[in-house]
Amino acid sequence: MPVIDPFRQGLERGWITHDGSRLANDLTLQADIAVIGSGAGGATSAQLLSAAGFKVLLIEEGPLKTSSDFHLLESEAYASLYQEGLGRMSKDGTITILQGRAVGGTTLVNWTSSFRTPPQTLAHWAQEHQVSGLSNEALAPWFERIEQQLGISPWALPPNANNEVLRRGCEQLGYRWAVIPRNVRGCWNLGYCGMGCPVNAKQSMLVTSIPATLDHGGELLYLARAERFEHDGERIAGLQCSALDANGINTTGKQISVRARHYILAGGGINSPALLLRSNAPDPHARLGKRTFLHLVNFSAARFNARIDPYYGAPQSIYSDHFQWVGGSDGPIGYKLEVPPLHPALASTLLGGHGNDNAQRMAELPHTHVMLALLRDGFHPQSQGGAVELRGDGSPVLDYPVNDYLRDGLRRAYRSMAHIQFAAGATRVLPVHGDARYASSLSEALTMIDELSLAPYRTRLGSAHVMGGCALGEDPRQAVCNSLGQHHQLENLSIHDGSLFPTSIGANPQLSVYALSAKLTDALITRLAHNA
Amino acid sequence: MQRRDLLRFSLGASAFLATTSLVGCTAQSPATGYRALRDDDLPLLSALIPVVLAGTQAVDGLVLHSLDHKLAALSPEMLKLTWQLFDVLSLPLTRGPLTGIWGAWQQASAEQINAFLQRWQGSSLNLLRMGHASLLQLLLMAWYERPEAWAACGYPGPPKI
Repeated sequence: MPVIDPFRQGLERGWITHDGSRLANDLTLQADIAVIGSGAGGATSAQLLSAAGFKVLLIEEGPLKTSSDFHLLESEAYASLYQEGLGRMSKDGTITILQGRAVGGTTLVNWTSSFRTPPQTLAHWAQEHQVSGLSNEALAPWFERIEQQLGISPWALPPNANNEVLRRGCEQLGYRWAVIPRNVRGCWNLGYCGMGCPVNAKQSMLVTSIPATLDHGGELLYLARAERFEHDGERIAGLQCSALDANGINTTGKQISVRARHYILAGGGINSPALLLRSNAPDPHARLGKRTFLHLVNFSAARFNARIDPYYGAPQSIYSDHFQWVGGSDGPIGYKLEVPPLHPALASTLLGGHGNDNAQRMAELPHTHVMLALLRDGFHPQSQGGAVELRGDGSPVLDYPVNDYLRDGLRRAYRSMAHIQFAAGATRVLPVHGDARYASSLSEALTMIDELSLAPYRTRLGSAHVMGGCALGEDPRQAVCNSLGQHHQLENLSIHDGSLFPTSIGANPQLSVYALSAKLTDALITRLAHNA
Repeated sequence: MQRRDLLRFSLGASAFLATTSLVGCTAQSPATGYRALRDDDLPLLSALIPVVLAGTQAVDGLVLHSLDHKLAALSPEMLKLTWQLFDVLSLPLTRGPLTGIWGAWQQASAEQINAFLQRWQGSSLNLLRMGHASLLQLLLMAWYERPEAWAACGYPGPPKI
């Protein structure tokens, strides 16, 4: 039975959309609220605003791809659904940054892990960053509401073998582990969440908040890059967008002018501060783009006699926070342990080497497991994160230095992962590092890890969680927005996305983005109604 | 791939690369049948493929077309920087001193190419180590994205929906 494509059905019902690549002329669009970015923050805000009766225009730089377009192929997904064609990296090229770029944003390609913001993180924001009104208690009803809306609950099926390694290893060692809550309904347990869900089970923005917005008369403009705000230092008068070609790469020369009463910026970490930098937005204390965090990730591979088939099954279902808060929230860096799905192209670059070495490692792919550690950056004075800069062509790049504080965490994480993998029955363990080789005992692995030089390029680093850069907080000397997400200087601008976070979250951030955006939007609706 | 620093390198830090940027008049238009790869990139890549993908069934033409597809999806800035990396490797003035391959890529032996890759991998210059990582990543992914690569790594392919 063919899978229904509800988005295409909606288009046939008459949803109002504008495809930037097909514009024959420049275009002017008007709305009550212009929302820039159609990911977790933007789409959540758009849905609530349109339900409250505001005319919403949702603007997305990436293409519109729906379930009929998702063929479970790395070759297609990486090129069409990710920022810079999966080529986004930190400025010095040491960290690969995975961010989505399509209608639905990163929610289209994330691995569905949905955690509430840890209470330790919220307490730290209140104490150290003058964030008010975002206590665990204040956010709890918003977490509940989003969990219901997006079908978020702990994964009920057994974990796939790749996740089972993490569970079994932790169990053996007495480490804490738990089942990951996922935002799915009727999941087929396929394992291709990172390439777009072909059966619309993942409750991404593409099948939830964006359709709801369009059903309420909202409009969607896609393949349009928000270039700059026109403003006088106090109010935004308009937004200029450039139309992009069908692949979303080059501008076509057509312009879209957007006029709105209020603007919500939700381009995510890196892209949100970049738009404000391009716009020369007021930034009297040079905070814009600063303190951008990554949950810096390192990896450890392991060989098992049993089949792992790491490409199949729900990609993330087990996690361990055993090492997350060991030294308190602001001690030596803590980390969360999870696993990534391993499809051949991504696996080939992770497993390292070239020629026969790499081919041999790849031949064992069905017996290979990989674990990852997400480092909780931004809580310690020695973890200031990175800074967003503009390249010559106005596109953004993140300068994120890796220092000794982070390297200490990377080394401890390599050790923890090797411990767990051997405890789970691995025959060999390979820290994912250019100078590492497979070790056949724990002591051999630990000796090797202690000797690894954690130099740039040799240590394989990644990130799928870009956070911060437009931090919220009551003190304008420290933050870009106040605790309501209102820009400290531009009165008709709100920011509703992960760029608001004053530190990393300490958990996969999508539910934090949804809940915070929903709460901020609710307050915005009250303010707008009051001022109408 | 991020090769921003390679650009900076080519503009000042090295006499070799400064020369590249002066004489680096490599055409920026794609070769026939390609969207991003240029004629001058092909000999270099055709020489690298059998070495980087030794031990696989990789076929030159298939890998080049996958790679072209990947490059065509990069942001303009990333594509520019990738081209610059290929320029440094292709132009005789920079190729010899930086890679140790003094003749044409077509004549380079697998030993010479492995020696070049090892030299860049262990270089004290971050830029060369970055170039090494980028070349490997591009070519490995270009091959393993292809269904022809999957049997050898035991991947049955995506399920039918």
